[in-house]
Amino acid sequence: MQTVEPSDETAAAAAAALRASLLRSGGLLERLPVGVYACDREGRIAHYNARAAELWGQSPGAQSAPRFCGAHKTFTADGAPLAPAQSPAAQVLENGQRVCDCELILEAPDGRRTYVLANAEPLHDEHGVLIGAVTCIQDITKLKDAQAALRASQARGLDMINAMPTPVYATDASGAILFFNAAAVRFWGRTPVVGHDLWCGSARMYTAEGAPLPHDQCPMAIALKTRSPIVGAEAVAERPGGERAPFLAYPSPIFDDNGVMIGAINMLVDISEHKAAQARQKALIDELNHRVKNTLATVQGLAVQSLRHARDPGEAETRFIARLTALSQAHDHLTREAWSGADLAAMLQAVTGAHRERALRIRLDGPPVRAPPRVAVTLALVVNELADNAITYGSLSAESGEAHMSWRVEADALKFDWIEVGGPAAAAPQRSGFGTRMIARAICDELGGEALLSFEPAGLACRLRIPLGEKS
Amino acid sequence: MSKPCADRSVLVVEDEAVISMLIEDMLSELGCAEIRCAATLQAGIAALEQRQPDLVVLDVNLGGAPAFPIAERLAAGGVPFLFTTGYGATGLPPQWADRPVLQKPFTVEALGDQLAKFFSG
Repeated sequence: MQTVEPSDETAAAAAAALRASLLRSGGLLERLPVGVYACDREGRIAHYNARAAELWGQSPGAQSAPRFCGAHKTFTADGAPLAPAQSPAAQVLENGQRVCDCELILEAPDGRRTYVLANAEPLHDEHGVLIGAVTCIQDITKLKDAQAALRASQARGLDMINAMPTPVYATDASGAILFFNAAAVRFWGRTPVVGHDLWCGSARMYTAEGAPLPHDQCPMAIALKTRSPIVGAEAVAERPGGERAPFLAYPSPIFDDNGVMIGAINMLVDISEHKAAQARQKALIDELNHRVKNTLATVQGLAVQSLRHARDPGEAETRFIARLTALSQAHDHLTREAWSGADLAAMLQAVTGAHRERALRIRLDGPPVRAPPRVAVTLALVVNELADNAITYGSLSAESGEAHMSWRVEADALKFDWIEVGGPAAAAPQRSGFGTRMIARAICDELGGEALLSFEPAGLACRLRIPLGEKS
Repeated sequence: MSKPCADRSVLVVEDEAVISMLIEDMLSELGCAEIRCAATLQAGIAALEQRQPDLVVLDVNLGGAPAFPIAERLAAGGVPFLFTTGYGATGLPPQWADRPVLQKPFTVEALGDQLAKFFSG
């Protein structure tokens, strides 16, 4: 223990009394890991231990000893300068009351700062007269650093949650919202009032089925009431403007070390995109179903026509399969281009090719044309009828007859000619068969075009004009 | 089979030629006196203006365009009609959901049953 030799007699007497008081605690003070010093009634530092000198960064002597505190400079925990006359020891000497747990910052002459916790006690003589103050200063720098690190780490955690694209918020045990991130504000379309909004920050909520969902029955409220987490409960949030967003909620209560529920955290997953994709998928399936059903009805029509007009079952089968194949060829060529159109030459080549070696005498000549879906399907069926007719009755029934298919695009319309040569003279059929009926119904009625069938001595000539407008 | 359709006039509004011919043949088989066919919205409306049929067989989708303008006209004029569709009854908007629907493909018997409901009463 350092003893500061007093410079005058009065001080010497006071110091002696103090020393007597302190000596009762023996050499203990030196061994304490805390700084301890004693001031006399006037605030002069009479004694201090080595740890105190260490914390002060200096060892005050008789001449230089500051009053009340041995530090070079002292600041409050907030960083404001603290005059020695305001120090805990000074307060004790002023009013005789102890000062507890006062956080201070001590600055050594070299600028080094130490956070300390100061406790000051009055010292009395045997008559109860206040003779001085003893101050204990404990280094809490490490504790403060750890607290600062914890605060920084918590702030980083909050920064991270705030930066998350997923809405996240937390409430206390009563459901009052205490924290929410930026994504939650975007999702709700509003900023809840901290400590006031309960359970969820959305303006209004609905069940997945669309019934109104009161806030006190939302997934977060249920999780808090049942003290159990909920995984992926579906609900719909409505923004103040009326826009609705379906979401999944993942509320989870939080408990302290004693098992007391202190609140809950909730993550909301916006499933608007998912729902929209589901709706698109349903629309696609509905459209596919519509097309399949229409195609089946078309196949039904082809079957009925093939059976009705055939002379025998063999002919019915051949005709039906040829028509089905032509329809299928049109679908194949349309599918290659996602049903936006079909390469006319390639499709017609495939349709006539189904008629085997006779097809070799069918010539094709025309520029590249993308036939719209309905034009493609109709032409496939019509050309199949023309080829079948030519093979049965027309030019292709003769040894050297030919059929010439040609087309061009004029004024946004497809002009298509089927001209037979080298066969028997063509004669108009006694009754309208499927082919002629199909040409009239499909080319004229369905596609709004024109068809001219000429039964000439050289053979059949079929001239078609089909608009290529957007409705095809 | 009785012929409830005899002396009846039916308009078929159906855009797909092969299906239109099929329905025409079915109606003919059921004994309808007059069968007219239209393939587009415009042709359907023109046919109605020309002469009012006893019944209209209306395809819901005409070349990508909904046939509801014709349905509205028929409902307003009190002309009986039934829908044909590949979508099924659930594909109809609520205002038309209580109308009779034939899901494609359908049989001549199913068509005959629907017609009998209209013509026997």
